[in-house]
Amino acid sequence: MPREAEPSINERAFILEALQENIRLDGRPLDAFRELHIAFGEEYGVADVQLGKTRVLCRISASIASPYPDRKFDGIFTITTELSPLASPAFEVGRQSDLETHLSRVLETTLRRSQALSTESLCLIAGQKVWSLRADIHILSHFGNLIDTSCIAALAALRHCRIPDTSIKGGVLIVYTPLERDPVPLALLHHPLCITLNYFESGEKMLVDATLQEQQCSEGEIVVSANPQGEVCLVQKGGGGEVDALVLLRGIGLAVGKVREVGKVIDRVLEEDAKRRDKGGVVSRELRAENER
Amino acid sequence: MATKTLVFPGDIISPEVLPIPTNPSLPLKLGPGLRHVPPSTITSTLAGPLCIDRKKNAIWVENNTGRYIPQPNDLIIATVHHSSTDIYHCSITPHTAFAQLPQLAFEGATKKTRPQLNSGSLIYARILSASKHTDPEIVCYNPSTGKSEGMGELKGGMLFDISMAMARRLLMHKQKADGGIALLEEIGGKVAFEIAVGRNGKVWVKSGGVNETLLVGRALQETDTQGLGIEEQVKVVRRLMRQV
Repeated sequence: MPREAEPSINERAFILEALQENIRLDGRPLDAFRELHIAFGEEYGVADVQLGKTRVLCRISASIASPYPDRKFDGIFTITTELSPLASPAFEVGRQSDLETHLSRVLETTLRRSQALSTESLCLIAGQKVWSLRADIHILSHFGNLIDTSCIAALAALRHCRIPDTSIKGGVLIVYTPLERDPVPLALLHHPLCITLNYFESGEKMLVDATLQEQQCSEGEIVVSANPQGEVCLVQKGGGGEVDALVLLRGIGLAVGKVREVGKVIDRVLEEDAKRRDKGGVVSRELRAENER
Repeated sequence: MATKTLVFPGDIISPEVLPIPTNPSLPLKLGPGLRHVPPSTITSTLAGPLCIDRKKNAIWVENNTGRYIPQPNDLIIATVHHSSTDIYHCSITPHTAFAQLPQLAFEGATKKTRPQLNSGSLIYARILSASKHTDPEIVCYNPSTGKSEGMGELKGGMLFDISMAMARRLLMHKQKADGGIALLEEIGGKVAFEIAVGRNGKVWVKSGGVNETLLVGRALQETDTQGLGIEEQVKVVRRLMRQV
């Protein structure tokens, strides 16, 4: 089983020495993200997120399926992650690594268990027909901080996604093509994001958006998921080193600030994309499926 | 490397471009990126500038892609992975077969005075032999003289990744004239530093402080990724110098 190449003694010592002087290798402040670039595809529900050299593509696809017998009113929403050797030679095909399990669990908790996407809104006919939504996350290149990048990609894709409009007439389900009615956006109740904090010196120093090298040198990481309103959905600490409760609280505060910052970037690119797609005119206004609410 | 013509894959190299050897008995040598199609056609298989060395009667295409494949006599920076009875197993590039460094292949090393290297130490070494079918063998001394010639363990400092073309340019005899690199001289005028360049795309830099080491590393990486010319390199160095 291939493993990520460990940094040498010299690199480790240098990174730690530089951190004591609050210097990072790429010259950013300790609490700064790398350059974030989000692009949407021609189709709805495709988001390509680049955070520095790390790149993740998320695609949302929807189909109509029958619901689980014990959850008749809930639609189906699954998140799948794929770490292919394309991203890093340390990834193997067909074997689920610890990183992949960790990544999918964090995303599952952040987006699904926090009820960011209301699965009830995906129900079409109770007990018979529901939307089955699938988020495919492809890691294209791995240079650190996969969790945050994947979460940004998944949330941006969900917010960008449109599913066909439907109606029920006399017990018959009608699915409209985009020509008949504009597709409708998903019912997202809130917009949570993950922020990974890598800590050093038992929490004295916390790094936001660590690169792969910094990740490998850190004592451990704290993953915080929160929404811009400041509601925390998940706090997870891994890595073994112990941290003080106050450090954890400080980390959560820091993460919430970052969630707001990244959320604003997503808002801006979504607005730009909507402007690009809006052809204007009375017809497009009249035919719009969404209402003022 | 006097004239620079740009070639693309499939281009036929015209016979006028080929070097006229000073010594007629010297055969023409084709380097990477060129292919000989009998009887006398030479085509390129890569895109890049065509380089010609008249003295050696050699011709090749400079190209900045691909992974590092060990070649004999290349200077490389490797990481010690683990040690066995009398060999250190070193990784030249991640996820490839380990290179073997005999524990006695250091200057003045005997069974009692051989250096103790831990897992994760960096070494500057020369490739002794490399072939497709065996693990590469590296040494930290010149076998003909027994001297270290700057090779051995690299202590302290920091390792930076650069592209393989940049490493080749840095290792040229006339760095400024042939490689088009002036930034090391420019920095060297103001800050003292040590540097070791590995053909496997690694540079080790050591200087007085963290800031100075990072200055050299960042200037090299910026020059590499943005393909800066000599004047631009001087500007980058001045800008980074002001930040320190």
